[in-house]
Amino acid sequence: MLAQEKPVDLDRGSESDNATKAFLVRLSRLPEGTKLSACLQCGMCSGSCPLGYAMDINPRQMIAYLRAGRIDDLYRSDSIWLCVSCFNCSFRCPSGIPITDRLIAGLREELLAGGVGVPPELQAAFEKTARYGNPFGESPKKRDAWTRDAGVNIRVLGPGDSADVLWWVGCFGAYNRRNRKDTVAMARVLTALGVDFGILGTDERCSGDVRCTSQGEEGLFDALYRHNVGQLARRKFKEVLVGDPHAYNAFTKEYSRLGTPLRVKHYTQFLAERAPELRKRMKHAIPAKVTYHDACCLGRRNGEYEAPRVVLETIPGVKVVEMPRNRENALCCGGGGGANWLDSFIWERTRVPLPIQRVQEAAKTGADILAVSCPLEIPRFEDAIKTSGLEGRLRVREISDMLAEAMGLAEGRAA
Amino acid sequence: MKVAVILRQVPDVVEELVIADDGRTLSEEDVMYITNEGDEHALEEALLLKARHAAPVTAFGVGGEEAKDALATAVAKGADEAVFVRSTPDARGDNASLAARLAGPLKTGGYGLVLTGVHAADQLDAGLGGLLAVQLAAPYVGGLTTVHVDVAGAKAVVQKEYAGGRLGVMEVDLPAVLGVQSAEQPPRYVSVGKVTQARRTLQASELSVPSMTVPGVRARALLRPESGAHAKMLEGDADHVAAEIVALVKERGLL
Repeated sequence: MLAQEKPVDLDRGSESDNATKAFLVRLSRLPEGTKLSACLQCGMCSGSCPLGYAMDINPRQMIAYLRAGRIDDLYRSDSIWLCVSCFNCSFRCPSGIPITDRLIAGLREELLAGGVGVPPELQAAFEKTARYGNPFGESPKKRDAWTRDAGVNIRVLGPGDSADVLWWVGCFGAYNRRNRKDTVAMARVLTALGVDFGILGTDERCSGDVRCTSQGEEGLFDALYRHNVGQLARRKFKEVLVGDPHAYNAFTKEYSRLGTPLRVKHYTQFLAERAPELRKRMKHAIPAKVTYHDACCLGRRNGEYEAPRVVLETIPGVKVVEMPRNRENALCCGGGGGANWLDSFIWERTRVPLPIQRVQEAAKTGADILAVSCPLEIPRFEDAIKTSGLEGRLRVREISDMLAEAMGLAEGRAA
Repeated sequence: MKVAVILRQVPDVVEELVIADDGRTLSEEDVMYITNEGDEHALEEALLLKARHAAPVTAFGVGGEEAKDALATAVAKGADEAVFVRSTPDARGDNASLAARLAGPLKTGGYGLVLTGVHAADQLDAGLGGLLAVQLAAPYVGGLTTVHVDVAGAKAVVQKEYAGGRLGVMEVDLPAVLGVQSAEQPPRYVSVGKVTQARRTLQASELSVPSMTVPGVRARALLRPESGAHAKMLEGDADHVAAEIVALVKERGLL
């Protein structure tokens, strides 16, 4: 469907033209930013966008508007805030244009700088992240509070300390009640495997990816980056282990771009390398049909499809079944790029939330468990399962949590 | 018409409040300050007035060094002038003393409107607005959700919310002091980059009037809330729990 063409405002034409040029110059200075000029106007981006149907100006049209010097029209559109950072457009673009990371993020940065049209939910998440280092507005001093319920000793690395593995717990893992059980599970699995690991504790802040790099809040990202890099530099470690694919992305792409190369592994990659050892340690079977949801940020954005499946297959009794849309075709949970804080904004414009579509796809496979590898998906899919009446039929579980159960490490853990 | 807005730093209750050894103040090491929420709304209302009437806005940031961050944020949002009002921890919450300190500069500044939050999280002695109005011999009305100024700048029409969903519309002669309950729109967002830039280039004048002791209210002691009776959880199987309930009912003579 084509958006209705808006008449060109001749009075504002040259002003908009200059603003457009300035924007394109800024974009061209960013990695792969110049690729925008290679757009063929084929529309692959907009056709593959799960919310393209609800956009008055879709990604292909955004580029056409920019070429016509009409950035002002983009400022007035809601479409910029409908992007959920699923990376379908960037992944499929035949010209390799970084639509999500540069075009959309750049436009959002413009809007944020002008203070125009920022949805209030997202604004609150930004303000809390700037002030407290997490989007929930929780006390930074309570970031390691979860360790008290872990049932295993968790080493908090102070300045000068060292460990083989620095485990980046992340905001959801550290604070969100529905993710904390999975954080504890991960701590127990690492302990059982004899991994020499430690955490940053209260010195950790948001990695900056979810709300910043793809949301356009570059100033906030910059502040978080400087804090985190300062803290990391004071500890010695061989690799960084992350639970959140968004932190994985921030570290591997943005932190390295800014001069801090880190060896980073998502926890499923870390554990897939240890699959033979995991198999030896299995104590209980989980007799269940399991379908795995590829997190956009781990899959399409970073090319990791196999590790989570390898880890799932170490669990006795698990039968992995695939949804028709899997791996690079997986449907987004709708929570990336800050969209976790835009649910009502997006709902008002679409009425068919992506997480509901996704849990229905999962249920159709006959699976008992929808396994995930991204902490945002636990609350998102749990809510979607309740709203779509699938409670009792389908359960969403983090892979680390399933692993801990199969390894006999779930006892005495708060549910 | 010029607009002044008072931004007070108050303890952020996201962090646990720790009482200092003197038993009368909060431990400075543990306390984290935040701009009083009502004052954020007063700033938003002031910026709306600026947009409508081209009214220059002066922000007065009250507190320790952190008040300068609040001023930088205010400037990044559009305030034209910033005044830093250094306030020591023992003077926090003392609106009577603050009103006396601010009286001079607010009079000489020629402000048509002085906006504050209708109350502050740490105040000891009623709202700052009323106390300022006394000092300035100006009218005061608080609990406002809308402020409109006439073209001549002679009076303001304000809306005030009352209990039970009632709304009052009032006319106030200017200059006046107004206590804002909530602005017409949520406080605007300003990007971190802009605040950082404003912090680097901030040109805040510092109020030269020192803290003063005026007749007023002072904190004698701060106490933690006392916890009431704790609930007792009965555990075990149904038979055991039932037996315990029966024993408790008998023991306490409840039947």
